[in-house]
Amino acid sequence: MIKSILAALALTTALSFPAAAMARPVTLTTTMKDYGGNGAYVAIYVTDKSGAYAGSLWMAGTRSRYYQHLANWYQATGGDTAQINGITGASVGSGRTLEVTLDLQDALFDAGYTLHIDAAAEGMRESPNDVKVPLTSGGAGQPVKGRRYVSSFSYAM
Amino acid sequence: MPKTLSLLLASAALTAAVGLPAWSAMHAPGTAGAGQLLVLVDDDDDEDEGGSEMRRKDDDDGEEDCDDDETGCGSSAAAPAPAGSVPPPQNGLFGTGTPQVKVK
Repeated sequence: MIKSILAALALTTALSFPAAAMARPVTLTTTMKDYGGNGAYVAIYVTDKSGAYAGSLWMAGTRSRYYQHLANWYQATGGDTAQINGITGASVGSGRTLEVTLDLQDALFDAGYTLHIDAAAEGMRESPNDVKVPLTSGGAGQPVKGRRYVSSFSYAM
Repeated sequence: MPKTLSLLLASAALTAAVGLPAWSAMHAPGTAGAGQLLVLVDDDDDEDEGGSEMRRKDDDDGEEDCDDDETGCGSSAAAPAPAGSVPPPQNGLFGTGTPQVKVK
């Protein structure tokens, strides 16, 4: 009886361990410019090598009525909030830094995936693709500049 | 000539009837009255500058106590579940860890 239980436990551990080894914590750091407005809504999402939407990584801003102003993200998802369940937090203020650590699959890196950031703030222009950066192991730690709201973005593995 | 004079007198009387209350109001500051012109000022801070902008909609006026970051705050679509309350979406991008967030 005990041997059977131990065997089953070993089997499940062997099956689950490879999955755990295929993901790792990745920290996404987004520093906003001093744009002087209200807190910005920020959508961080990924497209695959063909440019198709692959999934969302983080949504800063909780009121769904404003998601339509994150134009490219909204076009890809139809504003489906199920895409961002469990990965939504507060909007990001002017000049502030958003640091999000996510457990991401290794398969995202060096496989043609691109990370995008759409941003918008109340009373100010929308900025789809404020940041666009390929996800590569070599690109980790390399800050990139945003177009309008984002001063710099980097990811650390 | 008499007709012209009559017309002139009539128009002068009409002008006086319309203009006198307005003139009185201009010279009586601080007094509210029927003759005072009311100028409506749009004090909405959300200026419409044109183009694609994120603006508060009119139905936000009834939600003054609703902070921007309160979930389910009168939004027409379902509010997303906040981080930590449910696991991330099963979109193949995530492992099993819980997202951690910090704003500095």
